[in-house]
Formats: sequence, structure tokens, C-alpha cells
Amino acid sequence: MITKTSPEIGGMGHSIKRKEDSRFIQGKGNYVDDVHLPGMVYGHMVRSPYAHARLKGINTEKAKALHGVLAVITGEDLAKANLAWMPTLFFDKQMVLATGKVLFQAQEVAFVVAEDQYTAADAAELVEVDYEELPVLVDPHKATDPDAPILREDREEKSNHIFHWEVGDKAATDKAFQNAPVKATVHAISQRCHPAPLETCGCVADFNKATEKLTIYLTSQAPHAHRTLFSIVGGIPEQNIRVISPDIGGGFGNKVPIYPGYVCAVVASLTLGLPVKWIETRSENLQSTGFARDYHMTAELAATSDGRIQALRVKTLADHGAFNAAAQPTKFPAGLFSVCTGSYDFPAAFCEVDGVYTNKAPGGIAYRCSFRITEAAYLIERAVDVLASQLKIDPAEFRRKNFIQPDQFPYKTPLGWTYDSGNYEGALNKALDMIGYNELRQEQAEKRKKGELMGIGISSFTEAVGAGPAHTFDIAGIKMFDSAEIRIHPTGKAICRMGTKSQGQGHETTYAQIVAQELGIPASDVIIEEGDTDTAPYGLGTYASRSTPTSGAATAIAARKIRDKAKKIAAHLLECSDEDLEWETGKFFVKGAPSKSKTIQEIAFAAYTNIPAGLEAGLEAVDYYDPPNLTFPFGTYICVVDIDKGTGEVKVRRFVAVDDCGNVINPMIVQGQIHGGLTEGLAIAFMQLIDYDENGNVQGGSFMDYLIPTAVETPHWETGSTCTPSPHHPFGAKGVGESPNVGSPAAFVNAVVDALSHLGVKHIDMPITPWKVWNVLHEKGVVN
Amino acid sequence: MRIEKTFQVKEPLDKVWDFLSDPRKVAACVPGAKITEQIDEKTYKGAISVKVGPSVTDYKGEVTILRLDPVNYEIEILGKGQDVRGRGSASMKMTGKLTALADGGVEVTSVSELNVVGILAQMGARVINEVSNIMFGEFTKNFQARLAQPSDAAENATEAASTPIRAGSLAWQAAKGVFRRDGT
Repeated sequence: MITKTSPEIGGMGHSIKRKEDSRFIQGKGNYVDDVHLPGMVYGHMVRSPYAHARLKGINTEKAKALHGVLAVITGEDLAKANLAWMPTLFFDKQMVLATGKVLFQAQEVAFVVAEDQYTAADAAELVEVDYEELPVLVDPHKATDPDAPILREDREEKSNHIFHWEVGDKAATDKAFQNAPVKATVHAISQRCHPAPLETCGCVADFNKATEKLTIYLTSQAPHAHRTLFSIVGGIPEQNIRVISPDIGGGFGNKVPIYPGYVCAVVASLTLGLPVKWIETRSENLQSTGFARDYHMTAELAATSDGRIQALRVKTLADHGAFNAAAQPTKFPAGLFSVCTGSYDFPAAFCEVDGVYTNKAPGGIAYRCSFRITEAAYLIERAVDVLASQLKIDPAEFRRKNFIQPDQFPYKTPLGWTYDSGNYEGALNKALDMIGYNELRQEQAEKRKKGELMGIGISSFTEAVGAGPAHTFDIAGIKMFDSAEIRIHPTGKAICRMGTKSQGQGHETTYAQIVAQELGIPASDVIIEEGDTDTAPYGLGTYASRSTPTSGAATAIAARKIRDKAKKIAAHLLECSDEDLEWETGKFFVKGAPSKSKTIQEIAFAAYTNIPAGLEAGLEAVDYYDPPNLTFPFGTYICVVDIDKGTGEVKVRRFVAVDDCGNVINPMIVQGQIHGGLTEGLAIAFMQLIDYDENGNVQGGSFMDYLIPTAVETPHWETGSTCTPSPHHPFGAKGVGESPNVGSPAAFVNAVVDALSHLGVKHIDMPITPWKVWNVLHEKGVVN
Repeated sequence: MRIEKTFQVKEPLDKVWDFLSDPRKVAACVPGAKITEQIDEKTYKGAISVKVGPSVTDYKGEVTILRLDPVNYEIEILGKGQDVRGRGSASMKMTGKLTALADGGVEVTSVSELNVVGILAQMGARVINEVSNIMFGEFTKNFQARLAQPSDAAENATEAASTPIRAGSLAWQAAKGVFRRDGT
């Protein structure tokens, strides 16, 4: 149990307002594009119109001749500095600027630098590129056909196949399938989508020729890791690089990779000795920077005739585009996809994944999730519904029958993960109560008699967040711990710096609440600073809902280190032994004599003014926290939809989200995160797809085609919670930012399929657009 | 993408055929298009400028007569071009057929397979369809008008490039077309 502090202290569990919002709502945030340096010049990217073509020549003369143009950089120029290629986050490499061939539409071909951004854009139009079109590979299922064009001539392996990965007990799984009386199969595509953060990617690279220092203002979710990568790849001494992530307007995984635009801006600044700004347009963001998903999955479940799951078999084809730039810091090519056994207890599972190249933008980033967990949660929650429907068992009942039980934790899954804690039935029951499940089923039965289409979809997902234990997770070898440094000033106020980086999550508030909880210093007296690699302790950044599980834990432990020292100072001030002291929020007092006490503020002052002999001055601590395991948040989401037979439009009537993320730091911020994640989940389920035509032309490359939900499309979200603390986290928290995006797509799709199940519909792929539903209704003869 | 169009002209069959089988005359009717050079009997060099909103694409390429069938009044033409600034390519294979009508006029039927790669193609089928609808509408008007002119005038007209399509209005008309959907 967490002791609740007073509202004035504002420790854990208080819905205090977000400190960062006062500047955001006044329009006084400081984003990368707000950075203006003296003498700053601008970069613009020349991009390929073709998905696959040989580069026969680039003529930059006309562009260079335009007044105001300072440089035009091509792949051949970069090749001279050995910078034409750069490593990806997945042991692959990717072209910074194309040499030899282009492999996807909108690929970076040349970088124009000019005195202002309009001249740069005009000059980019004057760069003449001679292409010879080559056959295009769009369909990942045809990637390994004998007549498929080989895309990557740079690789020794003359094949479009990237990897084959398998995990689990194949023999036991196959045997379970042979013996099982009931089997169900679902083919489901987790479609290519894009996080489309409000702020696109960009940077200002500022190389100072006098000091030889390079400062990069960067839209980065991982500034420290990026500094190290710039140093290793660019050969610049790491102490001479300072990465500053100022305010970030949403990341969602899109700002984890290093993009060619950043590298080009750095090269241009090193060459010109001037600050170079490069900011993506919206279309460039959608077309070239990290997409998410594109997993083509098949799940089979084997069960007994009374509905006990016996085994799961999964086969997946992963389309990685032209370069494998997936965010993938685990030892497993498909990341956390093998959490696909979900919330259910069964003995056997086998999962295999193959990755292929196609002529599409590179990526496979973790869009608001931990490395393929969204795909996994969607697949198992879809498969369970298909099986329940086949057995004519109510989907809530079916889940209840198969859940891992609370006394089974820590639970080892058949694919090798150890879940820390859970009470899946508790969350399900709460969600069923909140939505009034039985009444809704009655209503549905009556509506069906009248020919009306209504569906109820359940998703009882298990999330895996908080990467990560160093034994499993690293980026380029750097272990995925994270850090916090707390400094208490003489007046008892504090500044803390972390290795993570908020992109809107509210870190300036929540970390301060952890300090308030642990030290009794009011949250309003604690400043949080992140994103400057010259000042913050090293860390791996914010994604995978890892900030609370890692830096949050480090903050608590650093605070406890401070408390230990404070105790020694308090003993000195109270002239007693440390063992005679007890802690109560904000002060130490002598056991049995509560009036004899010293507040943390008095102790802080003494740490600089009245230091006991043998103790260092000052009151500060650093902690680098390597979590022993991931944390496994969970929940049950229930969605109710009505379908308009005339238009095929799906209307989300109600949506209940019961989340369990362990102990909560700030309930208001948690609720805000859930609202945001559900809205993104809604968009993925019903609206979003980065599609390509047969020539490799992007068909989702602007907001005209790639739709963003507005208040009009977004339903009222009803949220609830249960609390099952993580047993291994210092204050029992689990992380929550991504649960709604991981758990909700299955709830939406299950609801639509449920509305149409009596017509024989078993699955509809996302995005479930009105056109798709309308076609199904026609096919099934519901309307003419 | 497949585009099928039919229109009628009030001229005799052989006159229409003479016109249709001469790429120089036909090109002069296409908004923004011109024939710049004849390579041989069946091959011509040409250019076409298409502007949709802020995006201008200047295709340069070749037009080849694949099949000329004066007995059945059928012609098959292949046009291929690349944007001069390397922003994409397009190709179109068009089959044109003339049918004599009872009233003495002629029905012109064309079936085109259009393949667009690059910036323009990102706008998707709905925009390209609308753009081709507008261009074809202009083409039909020009075709009828030029056909009605005395043959000398028509001959002279081929020397000059035809008027490029009204660029500004094209995007607006295409946008209206998307929402109107009445097939104009």
C-alpha cells in the first residue's frame, strides 16, 4: 500500500494539474522548429518519385546556380565520407542518400541547403535526376517468389528474405493440434499505419568550427542513445556532441530512429560551419519516416469441446519495406510478439515470423507500444473471439474459462515470458458491470429479430512494458537501464534530471510526484529537466511505456538514497542515533517522541551548513535502474457498436476501458493517456492505412488520405481501473501510456464482427471503413 | 487504371478517320500537349504538361502507333513519358474506334490504360480520374472544333502547341468532381 500524502505535498495518487501545461496552453512551448540561431540556413530533401529505379545520374548544376543556394549534397558526396549508408536499429543498414538505386517512393536522393527554406525548396525542384525504372515489389507475399526482383544489391544474400524466427515447442504444439477436437483459425493483418505525431520530425544541427562542438536540437525520444550513435557513425568525439530534445510534440515511436534528414543536416553544418535546420513536411513524415506494423498473421487455436484452449500456433509475414529499420532492441527479431499467448493459461504454443523486403518506406517502429506487442494482443484477442463464436460460447465466458488465475503469478508463458502479476477476471468483471453486459446482449438479440445490426466486442489484453531488463534489451549494445539524478537545494527545493524524454506524457509532473512521495518535498518545489545530454544522466529514452518502470523506479531509489543520508544528518541535528529515528512523509522524528523531529527542508539546509563529521556536504543522488523484469499491465475493454445498413458506417455507441497499471502516480494523467490511446486505436481500427498501388505509389501520403480522428468521430470514453501492483517495481507501478492503443483495436474489430457474426462473418481486416462494411452487407444479402 | 470514353461528332467517317490517325492532329486537341518531332512513320516525340494544384508535371516522351486498321477504323497508340524534373512517369495505351452512325455522324470510342508513377500518382485514383475526365472533356471540345474547321486551318493548328489546360481551375474542377460524382 502506498501512503497517501497531503494534497499540499502532492505525492502519488493525486490528480495534480500538469506543470508543463501552463506553457503549452499559452503557446509558449519550445519545439525544434522554434529554435532560431544566428546565421541559420535551411535544408530541403529531394525525394524519389519511383519505388524502384536505377539512379543513372544527378545534375545539381541548375540548383547550385540558384541565388541563395549554399550546397547540394548527393549520395555520391556522402559515399566519399563513408556516410552514404547508416545502421538501423535492427542490425540492417539504410541509405542516407541514395546511391546506385532507389528502393521506395519518397526515398532521400539529395539534400539542398539554402539561405531560406523557400529557396531550398525551389532549388530542390531544379535538381535533375535521371532514373531508369525497375520492376516493383509491393506484395510481401511475393517477396520470395523466384521471379521477384532482388531489391537489396548491397547484401551478400541475394534474396528479399530478411529473417526467419521461431519460438516455442513445435512438437508439443503440433501434437496438441492433432488431438484437439476443436480448432479455429484467423488470418488477420495488422495494417501499415503511421503514428503521425502533431509535430513532424526535424532538427537544427549547429557545428561551431571554433570549439569543434556540435549541438543538435532534435525531435528525439532517445537523446542520449542518439548522441552515442552520431558519435559512433560520424566519428565525432562524444564529448563534442550535445543533443538537445526540447519540447516534443508527440513521438509514439516515430521519433526513436535516426533519419537521413538529421544526418544530412549534420553533414551540411559540419561542411558549412553554419546552423542548418531541416523540418519535415507532413507528407514527408507520412511517406518516409518510420511506419508501424504491416504484420500479416495467422493464428490457430486448438481447444477441448467445452472450450479450454490447449495450444496456439502462429505464422506471420512481416513487411519491413526497403530497409529493416524496425525498432527492435530485444534479442528476438519480432520483439515482444511472442507475448501472443495473451491472458490465457494453456500449455503449448509455437510462433514463427518471417521478415521480407519490399519497395516501401522502411520501418516497423513501435507505434505507442513495446515492439510488436500490439500485433500480438490484437491477434490473440481476435483468435479467442473466433474460437468462442465457433463453439457458441459467450466471449466473456470463454475468456473467464481460460484466464491465467491470480494465484498463478508469477506466470511463465509457453513462449518464455514471466508475467509479474495480474487479476484478469477482476478487470473483466468490472468492465462487464460498468457496461451492463447482460442487458446489452438482450438488446442485441431483440435488435437482430428486427434486422438491426449491433455488436459487442471484448478485449482482455495483457501488455508488456518497461524495457527492459538489461539481459534481454539493448540498443547497439547499450543496456536498457534508465536513470534519475536528484539534487536538493539548501532551501529544500529540488531539481531532477532523467535519461528519459517526455513527448507529452507529463513527466514534469509525475516524476515530481514520485519525489514528493518519497521525500515529502511538495511536487510544486521539484523541477524536472530532461532531454539535454550535457546535463541529464545517461538514459535510453521514452517509448515502450518505460519511463515509469525504469526512470520512475530510479527516481524512487535515488530519493531513498537521499533519505538514507538525510537520516544521518537528522540524527546529528537531533543528537541521537540513526536507529532511533523514524520516517514520516517529509520528516524524521525520534521514536516515542514525535515532537523531536526535523523536516526534510531543515535537513537539506543542514546538508550545506551544518554537516556532521565524516559526511560529505550536499544532498543529491543518482540511480541507474535495471528492472529485473518487464511489467505486465492488463485490462478489459468493451466496445458497443451500431452499424448503419444504408452506409456501412460503424458507430461506436459506448466504450468502457478498465485498466490495471498497478499503483498510479497521477490518476488524471493516466486517464488522459487512456483517452489519447483509445482515440489512436479507434483511428487504426476504422480509418488509417498507408497503402501502395501496384507501382509502389504511396496512397496514404497526406492527411487527405490518411485520416486523423477529430472530436466528431471520437466517442465518449468511459474509464475504470483495478489495481494489481507490480511486485518487482519499487513503488508497484507498471506503465500505462500504451495499453489503450495495444488493447483497443481488438475490441473495435470484435464488436463489428460480433454485429455481423450471425451472417457468417468471422473476420474483417482493419481499417474497417464504411465501404468495406457496405460491401460485406451486400455480399451477405442484407441490403441490395 | 482503365478509362473508357465515348463521344460523337457530326462529320463523315473518313474525315474523322483521317484526323484520328494523325497523331499530330490528335495531340493538338489534348490540353497542354504537343508533338515536337516525327521520328518515323509511326513514332513521334512529344510533351505534355499537367498541373494539379501546386504540382506541375512536364512529361516528355514518345508516341508510337502500334496498330492502324483503316478497314475497321481502329487505332492503337502507346504514349510514354518521363517528367523532365524526374518527378515521375506516365504511360497510356489507347485504343480508338470509329463507328458510323445512322444520322451520318460518327461515334468515337476510346479505351485507355493509364499508368502513372510519382508525385501525381500519390493523389490517388479519384483525383487522376477527375483530372482525366476534365482533360478528356477539353479534348472532345477541341476535337470537334478542329474537325469542323477547313482542312488547311487544321493543318496549321498542328504546328502550334495547343493551349495548356487552365492550370488553376483544374485542381478546383477536380475537387468539385470528387464531391459531385456525376461522371462529368
